[in-house]
Amino acid sequence: MNPLPLLPVAHALVARKDLPIPVWLFAWGASLVLIVSFFALSAGWRTPRFEKERWRPLGSGISGALTSAPVQLLCGAVGVFLLGLAIYAGLDGTEAPDRNFALTFLFVTCWLGFPLFSVFLGDVFRPFNPWRAVGRVVGGAFSAIAGQRPAHLRYPARLGRWPAALGLVAVVWLEVVYGGSGGVAVGLSPQTAGTAALVYSLYTLAMMAVFGAEEWCETGEVFSVYFGMFSQLGAFGMKDGRLGRRLPLAASTSWATVPGSAAVVIASIATTSFDGAQEGALKGGITQVFEWLADAGFSLITALRLTDTIFMLLCVAGISLVYLIGVRGMATVRGAPPLAKLRSGFAHTLIPIAFAYLVAHYFSLFVFQEQAQFTYLLSDPLGTATTDLFGTASGGIDFKILSANAIWYVQVGALVIGHVVGLTLAHDRATAYWGDYRQAARSQYWMLAVMVAFTCFGLYLLSVANS
Amino acid sequence: MTKMTRTAAVLLALVASLALVACGGSDNEASETTVPAGEAGTTIVIRNGEPVGGIQDLTYNAGDQIQFTVRSDVTSEVHVHGYDVMKDVEAGGAVSFSFPAEIEGIFEVELEDTKTQIAELTVNP
Repeated sequence: MNPLPLLPVAHALVARKDLPIPVWLFAWGASLVLIVSFFALSAGWRTPRFEKERWRPLGSGISGALTSAPVQLLCGAVGVFLLGLAIYAGLDGTEAPDRNFALTFLFVTCWLGFPLFSVFLGDVFRPFNPWRAVGRVVGGAFSAIAGQRPAHLRYPARLGRWPAALGLVAVVWLEVVYGGSGGVAVGLSPQTAGTAALVYSLYTLAMMAVFGAEEWCETGEVFSVYFGMFSQLGAFGMKDGRLGRRLPLAASTSWATVPGSAAVVIASIATTSFDGAQEGALKGGITQVFEWLADAGFSLITALRLTDTIFMLLCVAGISLVYLIGVRGMATVRGAPPLAKLRSGFAHTLIPIAFAYLVAHYFSLFVFQEQAQFTYLLSDPLGTATTDLFGTASGGIDFKILSANAIWYVQVGALVIGHVVGLTLAHDRATAYWGDYRQAARSQYWMLAVMVAFTCFGLYLLSVANS
Repeated sequence: MTKMTRTAAVLLALVASLALVACGGSDNEASETTVPAGEAGTTIVIRNGEPVGGIQDLTYNAGDQIQFTVRSDVTSEVHVHGYDVMKDVEAGGAVSFSFPAEIEGIFEVELEDTKTQIAELTVNP
């Protein structure tokens, strides 16, 4: 008696799942990774190149226009409006997840779109962050009326980005564990998503009132921290209120100095791994534990959620362990800085890997679902079937625009490129930490092993995805 | 880097790639045992609103004609996701599907009324 077919597990939005990558491509990808890694070891440079971001201001015209008060207000207003629309659609719109604006907008357009744009451009979420916008307006109004700046509690520096790391796990848990096991094959309901967005908004605004909007965005606000992490690789950044160009990747080298940053990037890799593995690599184990818990008397939904939670936490533990072993290993190399410095000092080298995992697992979902976002979800956000705001309500998703081969090449290409960029950053950091270039190269055997493990694990997940 | 460490790195790389290829190979053999649907197509039997024998596998190559029949003891609508093909079936009746396999990927076939998955359609390139 297998109770699983009674309880289909599925994403709310996915009408099409990716085929596993074929063995030959897996073998080529893995071989390429190892060859590239070997060359990285032997042909490394000897002085750090990315430790300084070499920021130069853009022309004052462009910078001034983009950072002017009216533009900032407008961007903030757009953010608040779209968040409000998502909450409204979630609470009041159709129960069909694929016809409701809320799920696609929150979990695809924003959750996947901001990392994509941030990686190349910089922190594009910041101006649109609805909670920051509200926090700043309220703070500004308070200052104007009371004639003094609002008094905030000092944010405990030791907490660092830990609240954001926990929040990140919670967001993915809501999406793929809570939503993925709703008992019917629809996943997270729009109502749940809308309620969650509302609760999160209240929590965030409360924290901003206590610690200050900018402070909370820097450390605790999940989306600012998460998208901000990817933006460290981007080519544009703000300094002293001015917009400027910088050396791509370089800003990331100082990102992880805030405590808990390593936890954020590890949480990102681990939760993506879980989502990619739950219908592939981990399926057998999940089924086993689920049946065991169901036999132990848990209801089917509770058993499934409990099982998924356990496996998601196991993913976090596993990814953390691999990274910490690498750090321990580096510490044994002569001339190594203290362990704590190593632990945070190499965290940023995992950001490209985290992004590669996102591309590998969600690329096709993003391309397909954005077609829905900009056709029927735009014209009929509540899914009433009677609204057609922009005349695109009858549009749909064309699944033929991506062949399986195109998806495979993007997936494997992303993992290989992420691997190379991660190695580059790690090698660069090693040359900064170890004055002696030979010791630096020796320390990098460890990071190389970590990166090869993550990249090949990523390829492995793709090769058994949905199979 | 000394010559010895370099040799060690090459050996490590070779061992790791062999291990990866080996474990990749074994995974694939399992997934290729799926029997392709015959000319007349598979019949999926629904008893008490559930597919007999669990969720059925339908595997095709792109360009094939997808053909299958659903025989059901409940009235429902059969929905092939992705292709978005929908057909009603009466209790005690049967409904046949035939359409070209033009989208590559993995798709659910569902009884729409109860959201019960009855088959998984795989279209390989």
